[in-house]
Amino acid sequence: MATAIAYRHSHTTRQVLRSLVPVICPPEADALGEAIVEHMALTLAAGPAVLRGGFAAGLVAYDLGALAHYARRARALRGELAERYYASWERGPTSMHVQLARGINQLMSLACYEQPAMMERLGYRPAPWITEVKQRRLTVYHDDVRRQALQILAPDPLRPGVRVKQGV
Amino acid sequence: MTALSAAALHEGVPPRNVLTRRDHSGDSVIGADVVVVGSGAGGATLAAELAEAGFDVVIVEDGSYYQTRDFTADSSAMTRQLYREGGASMAIGCPPIFYQEGRAVGGSTVINGGMSWRTPDEVLARWDHALGLSGIARELEPCFERVERRIHVAAMDAEAIGNDNLLLKRGADAKGWKVIGNLRNQAHCVGSNRCAFGCPTGAKQSALVTYVPRALHYGARVYADVHVDRITRDGTRATGVIGTVAGSRHRIVVRAKLVVAACGAIHTPALLARSGFRSPSGQLGRNLALHPNVKLVAIFDEDVTGWRGVHQAFQVREFQDQGLLFAAVNLPPSILAMSFPHRGAALGRLMQHYDRMVLAGVLCADTTTGRVRTINGRPQAFYQLADADAANLQRGVSLLSELLFAAGARRILLPFHGAAELHGPDDARRLLGLAIPARGWEVVSVHVMGTARMGNDARTAVTSSVGLVHGADRLMVADASVLPTPLGVNPMETIMALATRSAGHVIDNAARFLR
Repeated sequence: MATAIAYRHSHTTRQVLRSLVPVICPPEADALGEAIVEHMALTLAAGPAVLRGGFAAGLVAYDLGALAHYARRARALRGELAERYYASWERGPTSMHVQLARGINQLMSLACYEQPAMMERLGYRPAPWITEVKQRRLTVYHDDVRRQALQILAPDPLRPGVRVKQGV
Repeated sequence: MTALSAAALHEGVPPRNVLTRRDHSGDSVIGADVVVVGSGAGGATLAAELAEAGFDVVIVEDGSYYQTRDFTADSSAMTRQLYREGGASMAIGCPPIFYQEGRAVGGSTVINGGMSWRTPDEVLARWDHALGLSGIARELEPCFERVERRIHVAAMDAEAIGNDNLLLKRGADAKGWKVIGNLRNQAHCVGSNRCAFGCPTGAKQSALVTYVPRALHYGARVYADVHVDRITRDGTRATGVIGTVAGSRHRIVVRAKLVVAACGAIHTPALLARSGFRSPSGQLGRNLALHPNVKLVAIFDEDVTGWRGVHQAFQVREFQDQGLLFAAVNLPPSILAMSFPHRGAALGRLMQHYDRMVLAGVLCADTTTGRVRTINGRPQAFYQLADADAANLQRGVSLLSELLFAAGARRILLPFHGAAELHGPDDARRLLGLAIPARGWEVVSVHVMGTARMGNDARTAVTSSVGLVHGADRLMVADASVLPTPLGVNPMETIMALATRSAGHVIDNAARFLR
């Protein structure tokens, strides 16, 4: 198992992301907010350190940036205000605003549709499909599968007759 | 499960000569004839050939050891486990390009699509004539045959081909364009369409289930979960490697008579650079090619259910001479969702069409190169998409859109941020006149190549034609780094064939290498 970085959302990151779930995810995902935010932590943990750092710093800027417009932090915005504020970053005065908004959207959309309930809504059920075809392969193609398995280990030297430890 | 099926799936008790981080309780010093850093297409192939010839081979792999039974339907978990940096590695440029590399025993062959194509003749001719690699086509011919036998390169079984690929073919046929069945390293792939997340049926004949078990069978040892910090050296002579076991401070020292760097075109130049090897050519880390590719999504009226069926059963080769390939791929809903600019209710409405979507890609043979710099010992890729390549990709998107409309698509979503949907072939053709700013492109890469290019002239190449590093002794490169130009096709089989050729050179000169 690969070593995962021990990453946990900061309080600010968690609160800001939680407030953005209704803005970015479809309404049917409303009840999954905590799981979505938690999944984003897993993704960030596996990603490049520079991405994690940039994302965290960007969310702080996003949170504080709302003060100038709404006299509240972004994490406290709800409904139409949260929507308008996020949209202002999507259009962005700078490419940094645009990139952060796009990055939040991408990571949160990924986390949203990784939720089993969301996959189920789309009829996406890969596990039973894998079980079915795996069994079919071993049944229908038994002999060929066996031949290939044997071939992998069968002697077939690149230079027939050469054993370097004897030949040197 | 019967013994046969367990063997075929490469399941069961892990072999004794695979050591993972759980097997280390302190520092270790190991001796070997050859140490191979990396276990992907190049490293595993070379290791197996040398082990069978009688060399004592140690493979050191940064990633973990998995078996077929470990590959599940959990795409997110698989991505985190099998991809370097969770698949979010980025080449800096405008646009930034995200590239994917495997990080597991078996390397990127564990997570690639399994397309197995020989180096195109025109590419080999160019290497031969323009780059001084004379006779390379003739020398590689038996290597290709050998690799294809080992990894079971074959056409797909027709019954395993899914509707997304049939629609791609239908569109190509309607346009009268050349479309071919993909040759893939698979033994009766049954279309679980999970190639990118570790094949859960054992059908994909990745290095994990072919060359790695073969190397183990002939006595090689695999040290998984070990990050190689540097190659040790005595002057210009490589003498081994020093690594660290993941999640610990345990050091592993391997003393060897030949060191092979096979950790991919991003990490090999960094490993050489931080170990103090400098190429007289000044080309180490340069010449980075990415095969930039973009994806678009076509929505059909009919059911597609692209996740039931073979991954990339066909390739459209009509424009190959212009550096363009088209293919249909399928991705889980989560990864598809993250590629859309939509959000909220609009995202939900769009995703309701998931089972009627065809995801198709345009791959471009790049005409420019980037660079891997080593910063504080770590690699960072820099790559600026050339205007000519952007224009070629744009043309590819237009042509592929025409094809998909010919197949019956109703709407097409484009890989340009802020671009409007297409609703018919006229829209697709109008796309050619659209000015798309570079920052609006969504470009990815799964083929990184070229950062230690081979050539017989030490003034222009990092390695010789068999991968030996110019200006160094007992140091070899056996991965996509050595490719001197982009291939325009999937590179795995070329890498394996070149590694086979390199192994032949080592065996033929065993007395020198074992001294």
